[in-house]
Amino acid sequence: MTKALVNKKNKENISKKILNIFKKKGFNFIDLDIVIDTDLLTQRSGEAFKKYALNFKDQSGKEISLRPDLTIATAIQYIQRKKRGTEKLSYFGSAFRLNKKGDLKVFDQIGCEVINSKSSPEYLVLSTILPVFKKLKKQQIILNDIGLFKNLVNSLNLPQRWKLRLIRHYSRKEYFDDLLNRLDTNYDLDNEKIKIDYNRLEDLKKMDGNKIIGGRTVTEIIERFEKKIKDPRDNFNGSRSVKIIKDFLKIKIPLKKSAGAIKKFIEINDLKIKNLNQFLLKLNNLSKKLGTKQDTIFDAKFGRETQYYTGLAFSICKQNKELARGGEYNNLIKTLGGKQTPAFGAAINLNQII
Amino acid sequence: MNKIKIGLPSKGRLKDESIKLFSSKGLNIRNTNSRNYFFNFEEDPNYDGIFLHAREIIERINDGTLDTGISGLDLLMELPDEYQNNIKILKKLNFGFADLVVAVTNDWLDVQNIADLEEVSFEFKEKYNRRMRVATKYPKLTENFLLSRGVTEFKIVGSLGATESYPFTGSAELITDITSTGSTLKENNLRIISDGKILKSSACLFVSKKFKGKELEIFK
Repeated sequence: MTKALVNKKNKENISKKILNIFKKKGFNFIDLDIVIDTDLLTQRSGEAFKKYALNFKDQSGKEISLRPDLTIATAIQYIQRKKRGTEKLSYFGSAFRLNKKGDLKVFDQIGCEVINSKSSPEYLVLSTILPVFKKLKKQQIILNDIGLFKNLVNSLNLPQRWKLRLIRHYSRKEYFDDLLNRLDTNYDLDNEKIKIDYNRLEDLKKMDGNKIIGGRTVTEIIERFEKKIKDPRDNFNGSRSVKIIKDFLKIKIPLKKSAGAIKKFIEINDLKIKNLNQFLLKLNNLSKKLGTKQDTIFDAKFGRETQYYTGLAFSICKQNKELARGGEYNNLIKTLGGKQTPAFGAAINLNQII
Repeated sequence: MNKIKIGLPSKGRLKDESIKLFSSKGLNIRNTNSRNYFFNFEEDPNYDGIFLHAREIIERINDGTLDTGISGLDLLMELPDEYQNNIKILKKLNFGFADLVVAVTNDWLDVQNIADLEEVSFEFKEKYNRRMRVATKYPKLTENFLLSRGVTEFKIVGSLGATESYPFTGSAELITDITSTGSTLKENNLRIISDGKILKSSACLFVSKKFKGKELEIFK
């Protein structure tokens, strides 16, 4: 038998075993579509998405993509099934992505997703995934809460537009670092130009508010202009906020100590973070449930590159190899055209296990 | 010795300026009539020339049919990156200047710079549940530029001409276009946003990377 065939057999055998573990935990297997409507994907993450997906046009000129991610494919199927209650779904298949050079990379994944659960599903997912790796020694969990970072930014003394900007681009590391540099030097609005536009505002106010100009109403333009000039421009200390963000992102500590360390960080910087106690309680509860034998690290930088994570995110690693990854994605289903639905899931990277 | 195969723009100011450039180097064009695509230089029999569309010149240098030619930098940069692996810019020339810019309707007075555009694009998507459309003849350059500046919520609408009209016909919300003086944009009630310059372009003398001759050094 060739090596490729042995690998394929191994993959199938391991997949069966893993899917059985998932089944015992109440997850129902679903078969996911390989091809996804590109428009649905770009609607979620904008044109940036096209850079890493393999896109085609069908005979009618409609753009379609090979699924770049199985969580997205699961969310699309959840919407199509029109179920209302809690769904525990499992899947097995390949995800197709292009790397920076444009080469196609295929990732074989097995995953489980809890959609629309009223209770916190993070431990359920973790305790479903972890037994798969019980024979492996020295595996480590890296964990973070993206929601905590967002609330930290919202607690800073910054104009609203800057807060939004930092939150929106948190997942794009290079651009985010560029934003921090700009914030550090307060480079933002051109006051001279604003003076000129002030004069033109009067002309605009004379127009019918419902008139559409370049796809936006006159009222919309006036409201945003007025909001923009009222938002503080020069009297905020960008440097202090930049330092807080950079220091926060350096927090990397065993999970059992994380709640204490974060609390101390917040106190030292005199911040008032919304729902802080809930975040800390979640970390403490997870720490207790996972137990002292499990090596778990809280890393404030982890998980940011997965654009749809909204809350807790984790990775199971062994010697720098990522075996599995998962997280909370409470907005994904809405941005794909469904209702606002909480969801949490994880996928095992089969290529790393075999 | 193989003759040097050269392509020059077939019309407009690019054609006139290209002919002038060669003339200033002592190479005067000789062709039988204005409808004949082929030409030679009176002073040097080592060239075989052809007048082509500026875009075609780049295509033909890329596939090796031409050794050299004059065309616009914007046209090369818009093509896939592999073209730049095959084509070298021998010299940026002193004519054919034009900028590729992002322009919005004058009445969008809340949009001054790219940071504003980024905010408006998110608000637009939230409000209308669709992405802002950008009409352009330069989809690749536009997409790369906007993404690098944090504007991710947009959709490219390909344009073949009269791009300036798109925001007023409901076909797009904003545009990117090539402009040399900005007057056409102004005439059409459009304004270039500050820090919205995507590319500073000019005519260039391009040469195939496979071409090893030294004859073109007079242009360096």
